[in-house]
Amino acid sequence: MISIVQRAFKVREVPVFLALVLVILITGFANPRFFSISGVQDITLGVAVIAILSVAQSFVIVMRHIDLSVGSTIGFSAFLIGIESSKGAPLWWCLTVGLLLGIGVGVLNGFMVAYLKLPSLVVTLSSLYIVRGVFNEVAGGTTITNTDVPSFISFLGRNYFLGIPYLFLIALVLMIAGGLVMRHLRWARDLYAIGSNPPASALVGIPVARRIFTAFVITGGISGLAGAVLLARFNTAAANSGLGLELNVVAACVVGGVAIAGGVGTPYGAVIGAVLLQAITLALGALGVPQFWQQAVNGILLISAISLDRYLSSRVKPTQIMRVNA
Amino acid sequence: MKESKISNVAAAGSPVLELKDITKSFGGVKALQGASLTLKAGEIHALMGENGAGKSTLLKTLAGVHRADSGEISLLGKTFVQGSTKLAREQGIAVIYQEPSLFPDLSLAENVFVGRQPVKGQRIDWSFMEDEASRLFGELGVALSPSTRARGLSIADQQIVEIAKALSINAKVIVMDEPTAALSSKEVDRLFNVARNLRNQGCAVVFVSHRLDEVYALCDQITVMRDGATVGSGSVHELDEPALIKMMVGREISDLFPKIDVTPGEIVLSVKNLGREGQFKGVTFEVRAGEIIALSGLVGAGRSEVVRAIFGIDKFDEGSVTLNGVTIEAGNSAKAMKSGMALVPEDRRLQGLFMSASIAKNSSITILNRLTRGGLLRKASEVATAAQWGKTLQLKYADIHDSVDRLSGGNQQKVVLAKWLATEPKLLIVDEPTRGIDVGTKSEVHRLLSQEAAKGMAIIMVSSELPEVLGMADRVLVMREGLLVGEYNRGQANPENVISTATGSIKTL
Repeated sequence: MISIVQRAFKVREVPVFLALVLVILITGFANPRFFSISGVQDITLGVAVIAILSVAQSFVIVMRHIDLSVGSTIGFSAFLIGIESSKGAPLWWCLTVGLLLGIGVGVLNGFMVAYLKLPSLVVTLSSLYIVRGVFNEVAGGTTITNTDVPSFISFLGRNYFLGIPYLFLIALVLMIAGGLVMRHLRWARDLYAIGSNPPASALVGIPVARRIFTAFVITGGISGLAGAVLLARFNTAAANSGLGLELNVVAACVVGGVAIAGGVGTPYGAVIGAVLLQAITLALGALGVPQFWQQAVNGILLISAISLDRYLSSRVKPTQIMRVNA
Repeated sequence: MKESKISNVAAAGSPVLELKDITKSFGGVKALQGASLTLKAGEIHALMGENGAGKSTLLKTLAGVHRADSGEISLLGKTFVQGSTKLAREQGIAVIYQEPSLFPDLSLAENVFVGRQPVKGQRIDWSFMEDEASRLFGELGVALSPSTRARGLSIADQQIVEIAKALSINAKVIVMDEPTAALSSKEVDRLFNVARNLRNQGCAVVFVSHRLDEVYALCDQITVMRDGATVGSGSVHELDEPALIKMMVGREISDLFPKIDVTPGEIVLSVKNLGREGQFKGVTFEVRAGEIIALSGLVGAGRSEVVRAIFGIDKFDEGSVTLNGVTIEAGNSAKAMKSGMALVPEDRRLQGLFMSASIAKNSSITILNRLTRGGLLRKASEVATAAQWGKTLQLKYADIHDSVDRLSGGNQQKVVLAKWLATEPKLLIVDEPTRGIDVGTKSEVHRLLSQEAAKGMAIIMVSSELPEVLGMADRVLVMREGLLVGEYNRGQANPENVISTATGSIKTL
């Protein structure tokens, strides 16, 4: 029994999940409304977009890279989907436009990081600004209103399946798909190897550049498609859509055990991290804590997450290098 | 643990791998010039030679890291295709480095199979993979759990994982590059058993070690390299220790290293019974003004650790360090510097220089206080000081404001020296002062050290190059496995006794 508990704690996702349960319980007892169906729906609906982007982001972070451009991509994609739809384009075409935008950004990011060997932090920070700049130029003062949103998309945004918002179900399906891929496919395991020991991965014959490129394209592609989810959630889009989301996404990943140092973490953890951050924000609101404190709590949580990681890895004893009197 | 004779092995005798007359140059430096090695199935073959003899280059050629300029390599009668580590592995060559580079976040099973995990359809077959890893660890007689992560694994166990990897690809040749340097004696025994096991299965095992006792305990055959060429080969029964040492050293010590004779002055540094947990203990010696002391020994014997502790970069646990009568407490490098100590570290790129800063900035960084007036740095005196040192050291540069990474290795080393000589130290510690620099610059560095000693500076030189040690030092202190095990005066020290003391083939003191 003890060994089962011990083993469970070795799974990185378990402590975060327990923290989530704890937050929900404490808040629920302090403010029973939090336990209600609508309380749960608040969390799940609110977190869907971040959860989806976090799954996408985990592909990049396990390689010890980062993609900061996702906020700009998802916003621009949401806007383009709305524009195409308002011109009367069919749903599949709208989604394709969003997907192609995301893949395009992913290809540019991936090319510069994988083949030009530029640091991903700088590359994707640049594409964050570039995509947002183009977005602003294209959008101007235009706002996508609910009449422009494809009806299927706005249906998804407003309806529930067995009490669970469709958008959150989409996030869950993506999480499970991502989780299976990253556990069971060779190329996805290579991403972990790359993040765990970059020089060694080339030595064992992993096509490092190609893998990095692919991962950025996947992250971009999912972020592009997720434009539809963002549109569904708010039923509107404008030049500031998706602004700053990338930071929430990275925070969710890190809190969920997808270490920024690479090599570890799963899409499951990323989603749990996203839900935890969302739950805490809502919980603090339900407890009447002023909003700026909510942000501070998120910051503290992030620092705790990395400190815990650092502490756990520092407990691993360094190897003795010599023999005195062999 | 008896060594079995070659003739006991069924598959023995058939050559597996033959390297003939391999040459390899890097720039103008000839790393290999006529290296040959013949490996037979079912033998453990020791590859020996001093630092810089070309062993590593030869092994890296075999591993696919380097490509030979000329010469032939044949594997089981076929031409060995050079050029990539992956190709080398596919042809059946596995190299286990002294410090393996595993993937710390992946499980041991995945480390064994990384990049080629067994699949069922598209999916990785995790249970098969773990069973296989388990079987391989079992075959090696080591109970490692395939599902644990590699992080925190001891170096000995990491090597076992690498060997399991070699077995899983059916390697015919397994190269172990100084595998015992970081192992405890118990772990060495275990590794030896594994190596014998591999031999009995018909693998050819190459074993690189500086420890003669290990070579004689484990190996069947010895090949000796010197200056990039193979100078001899024979069975362990034909080659006894004196013959082997002579073959390894085999050269006259020339006057390349002119230490000016100086009558030693006052005691500058006195180290008493210095110890640091797990690294060294009971280290006691003195250095006088005008003296150059060489700290000799194998890599990993604790030499760098001792000088780092003396300078205060690391703390020592016991003993004392006194510089000109002033006690330097453990870990107080600021006081050490202030009292007149300077350390030129081993790795100049990482520890000695600000690579992207200018030559002027780098040479003056240690004496900023002296170049400052009213809290502001006087640019002109910074440049003047740097230029003066540049002249003294015959530094070759285009512009004193150029960044240091544009200089050659030898000239970089001169900048590091300049930076510390500028502090006018009483005691200068240099760690591998001429590693990786060309012969010309080398002798300039030696001339410089000799001059400073003649002016009354006390110098401690850590060096792995025997000719340098014998040519430069007034006294040679030899360390082995964390202990000071021998001391020779300039007249007494010769290649044979220094090497035997360092490798432990003579139990001195």
